[in-house]
Amino acid sequence: METTSQPGPHADAALSQAMDGLWVRFLPDIQERVTILEAAAEASGKGKLAAKQRENAQSAAHKLAGVLGTFGLTRGTVLARELELTFARESSPRRNAGTKLAEITAELRAMIESRKSSS
Amino acid sequence: MARKILIIDDEDDIREVAALSLESVAGWEVIKASSGAQGLARAEEHLPDAILLDVMMPGMDGPTTFRELRKNQATAGIPVLLLTAKVQGTDQRRFADLGVEAVLFKPFDPMTLSAQIASALGWK
Repeated sequence: METTSQPGPHADAALSQAMDGLWVRFLPDIQERVTILEAAAEASGKGKLAAKQRENAQSAAHKLAGVLGTFGLTRGTVLARELELTFARESSPRRNAGTKLAEITAELRAMIESRKSSS
Repeated sequence: MARKILIIDDEDDIREVAALSLESVAGWEVIKASSGAQGLARAEEHLPDAILLDVMMPGMDGPTTFRELRKNQATAGIPVLLLTAKVQGTDQRRFADLGVEAVLFKPFDPMTLSAQIASALGWK
C-alpha cells in the first residue's frame, strides 16, 4: 500500500505558500517570545535577572529553536539554542552574559523581521 | 487508503505546521490535540495509525502521555513517535529507552516529515 506520494514542484509551491500563511498567522506569538528574551537579556545586563524571568526566557528560547528552522530560519534555530543553553546555565545574573544575550537576541529579532517582509 | 495521524503538541505553530505538512505532502488525515490529556481521549476515540507526540508539554508531558497510552488496551498498540527540540545525547537516550518507535527532532522539514514518519514505521 502506498502511503506517501512523491511531492512534485506544484506540491512544493503550494506547501511553501501555505507555510507563508502560517508564518503570518503565528508571527505575533514568535515576536512575543523574542520580546521575552529581550527583556531577560536587558535584566541580565543590569544584574537583575530573577529566576522566574530566566525560566520564562529559557522556555521561550526552546520554543523558538523548535519552530524557526521549520520556517526555513535555520540560523534562527542555532541562535535560539544558544540562548536556551545560556539561560539554562545562568543561575545567577552576570553583566557580561547580558551583553552577549542582547547581541544574540538583536540578531534573532532582525532575522524574524526580515522573514516577515519577505513573505 | 490514507493514514490517520494524531499530533499531540501544546505549541499551536508546531502543531499546525506538522498538520499542514502531513495533509498536503502525504495526503494523510490528521487529528490534533493540544495537551496530553486531550491526546489520550483523541487516541481512544479515533484509533490513529500513529501518534506524533511532543515531549515538553505543561501538565502531562510526552513521556507520561506515552505511558498512559500504553496502559490503555485500546491504544497500547498504536506506534508513537516522540517529537522534541532537545538535542542533548542524554535526553535522546532517555527518550529512546521509553520504548517509542522513533524520536524525531524539531525543527523538521515540512516537505519530508511524512517520509521520516513512514521510514521510521516501515510504511511503504
